Amino acid sequence: MYIDDNLDLAADGTVACRHCAAVTGTASDPLGAALVRECAPQEAGPSVRAEASNFADRDVLLRQVFCPGCLVLLQAEIVPADEPSWRTRSLAVTTAREGQ
Amino acid sequence: MPVIPVDGAEEFANLPVSAAHTRHVAGASIRLHDVSPELVDGIDPLTYEVIRHRLTSITEEMGEALKRMSGSVVVTDCNDFDAAIMDEVGDVVQVGLYNTELAASLDMAVSWTLRERAARPGIGPGDMFLCNDPWVGGGLHQNDVSLFAPLFVDGELFCWTGAVAHQVDLGGVSPGSWSVAATDVFWESIPLPPVKIVEAGEIRDDIEDVYLRRSRVPKLVALDLRAKIGANNVAHERLRALCQKYGADTVKAVMRRAMNDAESRLRAKLTELPDGTWTSVAHQDSARSGDRGIYKIVLTLTKRGDRLTFDFTGTDPQVDGLINCTYAGLRGGIMPVFLTTVCGDIPWAPGGLWRCIDIVSEPGTINNCTFPAGIGKASVASAWATTNVATECISGMLDAHPEHRRRMMSVCCGTWDFALLAGVDQRGAGFVTMICDSMAGGLGARSDADGVDTGGLACIPMGRVADVEMNEFAFPMLYLWRREEADSGGPGRYRGGVGASSCFIPYDSPLGGVHLVVSAPGKALPLAAGLSGGLPAGTQHDVLLRGTAVRAALAGGRLPGSLDDIGGTRELVPSHHETDLGPDDVYFTHWQGGGGYGDPLRRDPAAVAADVAARKVTARAAADVYGVSLGAGGAADLAETELNRAALRRRRAGLDDTETAGG
Repeated sequence: MYIDDNLDLAADGTVACRHCAAVTGTASDPLGAALVRECAPQEAGPSVRAEASNFADRDVLLRQVFCPGCLVLLQAEIVPADEPSWRTRSLAVTTAREGQ
Repeated sequence: MPVIPVDGAEEFANLPVSAAHTRHVAGASIRLHDVSPELVDGIDPLTYEVIRHRLTSITEEMGEALKRMSGSVVVTDCNDFDAAIMDEVGDVVQVGLYNTELAASLDMAVSWTLRERAARPGIGPGDMFLCNDPWVGGGLHQNDVSLFAPLFVDGELFCWTGAVAHQVDLGGVSPGSWSVAATDVFWESIPLPPVKIVEAGEIRDDIEDVYLRRSRVPKLVALDLRAKIGANNVAHERLRALCQKYGADTVKAVMRRAMNDAESRLRAKLTELPDGTWTSVAHQDSARSGDRGIYKIVLTLTKRGDRLTFDFTGTDPQVDGLINCTYAGLRGGIMPVFLTTVCGDIPWAPGGLWRCIDIVSEPGTINNCTFPAGIGKASVASAWATTNVATECISGMLDAHPEHRRRMMSVCCGTWDFALLAGVDQRGAGFVTMICDSMAGGLGARSDADGVDTGGLACIPMGRVADVEMNEFAFPMLYLWRREEADSGGPGRYRGGVGASSCFIPYDSPLGGVHLVVSAPGKALPLAAGLSGGLPAGTQHDVLLRGTAVRAALAGGRLPGSLDDIGGTRELVPSHHETDLGPDDVYFTHWQGGGGYGDPLRRDPAAVAADVAARKVTARAAADVYGVSLGAGGAADLAETELNRAALRRRRAGLDDTETAGG
């Protein structure tokens, strides 16, 4: 089953990269086994115009999540550094498949 | 000074109630028209479609009437308004295509009016009620003034029509009612709960005086009031004709059927989508001038069978500032993106759509605040951020379906780039206006296409940007440029639409300069997120240049084309700021594009090369973000690009520090 541009959900409840078939997680946590890297927001490119410290007291970072196999970028966010990632998904329909 | 709690303020808050409850309460004082379910079910398909489309066209006519009578550029040229037709208890049968955010809670205001005003002072033919209290409904912040009107047919209240438009100033500490230093609502325009401003077809002078006295531009606001009266009158004339031709019962049956149809078709679509939950977050930096906080709205969207639950648990508490929104703002944040992404092939009858949606939200949070929280910026702050997070979750849900994923879209222009000018215009009259250039925001990328460059805003399907010449004619300003900005669209396999910038000077005011109010977050972090590996759009970027020689350059026949050309002393403008622009000062404002979709390293190199040629993407971003090497003629060098991408793929994941070959 298609999840997004990069991920497929298999009948056994595993989520895998559509490009290299590496497992990235499960239906309830599709990116649980993916590679995470945090770095400066400016690494997102020249569109991040000014340092966050000019405007806010909290540090801001670019958090990127990659396929552990082919390193395709699965998710990217620029967020306060002291916050966990709120961006999650859980596909109930495949959770049921996991129990099969 | 601390925000002083207001005793009894909990009674100010209004929440949606069932049609049956509204009917029960109001029915004691007023005769409400109704039809039987059998009549609704029995309406023939041809009659249904003819009348339903007529209702749609009436909302468009309301918009045309409003634009033709208004004198505000915000309305006439930028379409910052909307109109709707509601049934006898306020359920929305048809919403106009203009700013759907504004009209998303008209139903709440009408229902409140029926429950609270039907007995005293009463609701009769020719009456119209004015409201700018977002705790009641009808708009998202005090500038969104709604005017809704009951239509009586044969002695019964048959339906309501409503028009909402952004008024450029309704008082408060700062011009434009945009008090950037506000800690609570008492710094702002004081909200007016629904009040009968038109009675039996005549404007009540006493009420109008109370309304207008607060404004710095009362004549303009008075004209807009008449424009909204005109819009309602046009709608009533058309609806009466419709009832005369087909019978009131038939028209009402179509109204019911349209809402039922919207509900059933939405349920069918939801059933096709996989069950699951999608959680995301939307941030805002700064709650008022001087504040350096970052605030979040968290949404968990759960789809089970044919229902959706929008659960905002985890959202930050309301804050002492102007960025909060009420429950009406929260609804206004959800419905616009819901209409455009999920309901493109479903009647825009929110009265039926809401039946499929549950909302979980804690009062006292930034997108469900309690009185007297500051809400002066609600529409483009927490309501907008609600749209952003709803866009992510809804699009994530759609992305999991092979067909419906084609309707998803990454987050559009992450926020409204608010710049307001006030002072004395070139004709010697006082003026206040919001510059609506950021109506040309970048749309989010889709799963199969780039976002539309300067394509608009998710919440305003028919939003427009005023011509440069119109702004220069209407206000004492002169543009140095307004143009698309490279790299402002979020990188991705499909790129987010680019945003743009404007650069202008005060010009021809007898005072020499103008007053400037800035309220534009997204500077500490971008607010238009990408999806499925797409990167966010660029950050908001505003710069004040003081003491420039721009007038000498213009006198010499040279038009500066960049900030470096302009010279002077640069000031990075914070998210909330209020200042004066002197005759030698220049203001540069650069708003956001749309988020990207998919990994940028999977973008067709030829598309990147075309973007560089079209100045949508810089050569630097082509190399550093897309890994594309461009040959001497500007075409992508595919062999070198492949090498670049292989190296960049490892480097961005932190696996080694090897520089890309083309970097």
